[in-house]
Amino acid sequence: MWAIETRNLRKVFRPLFGGKPITAVDNLNLQVPPGTVFGFLGPNGAGKTTTIQILIGNVYPTAGEAFVLGHPAGAIAAKRKLGFLPEKFQFHDFLTAEEFLRMHGRLAKMDGATLQKRIDEVLELVGLAERRKSKIREFSKGMQQRIGLAQAIIHDPDLVILDEPTSALDPLGRRRVREVVQYLKERGKTVFLNSHLLSEVERSCDEVAIINRGRVVKQGALDELLVNRSIVSIELKRVEPRILEGMSKVARKVQPVDERRVTAEVDEEDAVPELVRAIVESGGALLGLQAHRETLEDLFIQTVEGEAK
Amino acid sequence: MGVIVALTLKEAMRRRAFLGTVIILIALYGLSFLPRAFKEAFGGNERQFEVGVNLAVLFGVDIIKFFSAVLAILLCAGAITAEIERGYLAAILPRPLHRWELYLGKWLGVMLFSTANATLWTAMLWVSVAVQGEPRMEMWYALPYVLLYPVLYGTLALALSSFLGASLASMFTVAAGAFAYFSDHFLRPIAALFDVKFLQQIVWLSEWTVPMATLKRLVQARVDTILPPGMDDAPPFGSPEVLAFLKPTVQTLDGVYVAVYITIALLVGLLIFWRRDVQ
Ligand SMILES: Nc1ncnc2c1ncn2[C@@H]1O[C@H](COP(=O)(O)OP(=O)(O)OP(=O)(O)O)[C@@H](O)[C@H]1O
Ligand SMILES: [Mg+2]
Repeated sequence: MWAIETRNLRKVFRPLFGGKPITAVDNLNLQVPPGTVFGFLGPNGAGKTTTIQILIGNVYPTAGEAFVLGHPAGAIAAKRKLGFLPEKFQFHDFLTAEEFLRMHGRLAKMDGATLQKRIDEVLELVGLAERRKSKIREFSKGMQQRIGLAQAIIHDPDLVILDEPTSALDPLGRRRVREVVQYLKERGKTVFLNSHLLSEVERSCDEVAIINRGRVVKQGALDELLVNRSIVSIELKRVEPRILEGMSKVARKVQPVDERRVTAEVDEEDAVPELVRAIVESGGALLGLQAHRETLEDLFIQTVEGEAK
Repeated sequence: MGVIVALTLKEAMRRRAFLGTVIILIALYGLSFLPRAFKEAFGGNERQFEVGVNLAVLFGVDIIKFFSAVLAILLCAGAITAEIERGYLAAILPRPLHRWELYLGKWLGVMLFSTANATLWTAMLWVSVAVQGEPRMEMWYALPYVLLYPVLYGTLALALSSFLGASLASMFTVAAGAFAYFSDHFLRPIAALFDVKFLQQIVWLSEWTVPMATLKRLVQARVDTILPPGMDDAPPFGSPEVLAFLKPTVQTLDGVYVAVYITIALLVGLLIFWRRDVQ
């Protein structure tokens, strides 16, 4: 059983009074294994939030199916073990942090004694223990996001869906979210999160899917997607076609940047010296070279830009 | 569902709805000066004083009717779409509860609040005539029917709020009420006295559309017993049908129609909320 599964999921928004329909999600197929921390990535407007809204049952799909913890998305059984932090979080801000968590615990059908203990625990986890008696209205944006995270995990859910959980957080807050994610992972929970901070994602996720225009364009385990591949920035006295040709024999991709600079992509670190030899043999005057391991950001930009072509 | 009811009540408190409660309480207490003033203005005998008490009761019941409906509209009109737009519901709905529980929870919350209000106000009205040495019971007999006002208008506003923002939902509800009032108080006499069939049909139609005149009859049947003599006599002309149209009596099915109407309005709003996207 997948923690999340979608089959040909589709959502078309039709403006009420004419206008062009917008296809936000377009035949999306996704499989999230239980127990993983899953990064759901994509450029602005790719359809991430819309997909998440379908998964939690707030939005109805136009076509296709979505399953959450083995139940149809939106079913009570699916929602029982699901925690969610919305992207545009806005809570009942006339409640205090504690009252707010108690309300959510009750809505999640927790019993009184467990709930009280759990409130203390999660407030501690998100670092708001001293502010438990403050009204949410008096919280800063980042503190509100943290109480939102606390709310999402209050009932010890099996699946936690976080739509940009760190958008309002400072670096310390972001580290805390990483710790919470780690805490959930250690307890065997599935975390499905969406973020534009790719270095964060790279540090906490096991698996990612990159979507663009409502479709999955790449999915896999991070360590498989980012195998040893290196990005090499090269500075030459002059970029010439024959040099590029020579490089292409070694590199999987060669891209001139300007008259003096080229970026190349090689499959493994060992290929870098070979690339140098190829440049020299094709008569290039090598001035400088810098190789770094491919990051998620490189992969993201490459995937999304590759799509655009 | 209890959590949603409690949340709705808290929300009402936060929106200072109780200020409305207090202001109306004071206004109702003010009515206790009416009988004496009435007596002094019209010759000063005990009969006039009693008429003054009766008027205070009738007037007080009208105030309770009107303001409990207004309060229910204000609280219901912002309950669904406005909360979706503010982002409140996005975090509530993923909880294991059905949408109908949320909808009915909100409805129940507002209705409890309205009932508490109207009861408090009725108690105040009772006190304000009782202190004049006239403990009357009519307002208590009318209370169950007076409560139908907030139920009717609150349910309408809630149904509209399932797809309209707070200001539009309250505007349309108030417009519906104003239309029903206009048709009952202005169109009806004109249609009756000049015996215009077409206008009479419009009056009937409007009562079917918003059964406020039906509610008025139900309430009046409980309090009109204390009308001053001569104030509610039929005009001395017109055919029996015209007079019946002008002053319809309570029909057996009036209550049933109102109940069916409220149920349908509730279900329609629920259906719309159930099928719509929340984002
Ligand atoms: N209610 C709506 N009505 C019409 N179009 C919508 C609606 N909601 C979303 N869209 C459109 O659907 C597309 C996907 O939006 P979505 O919010 O899912 O993107 P996203 O991937 O979450 O983007 P971001 O990274 O900016 O949060 C966008 O083109 C957006 O304009
Ligand atoms: Mg988004």
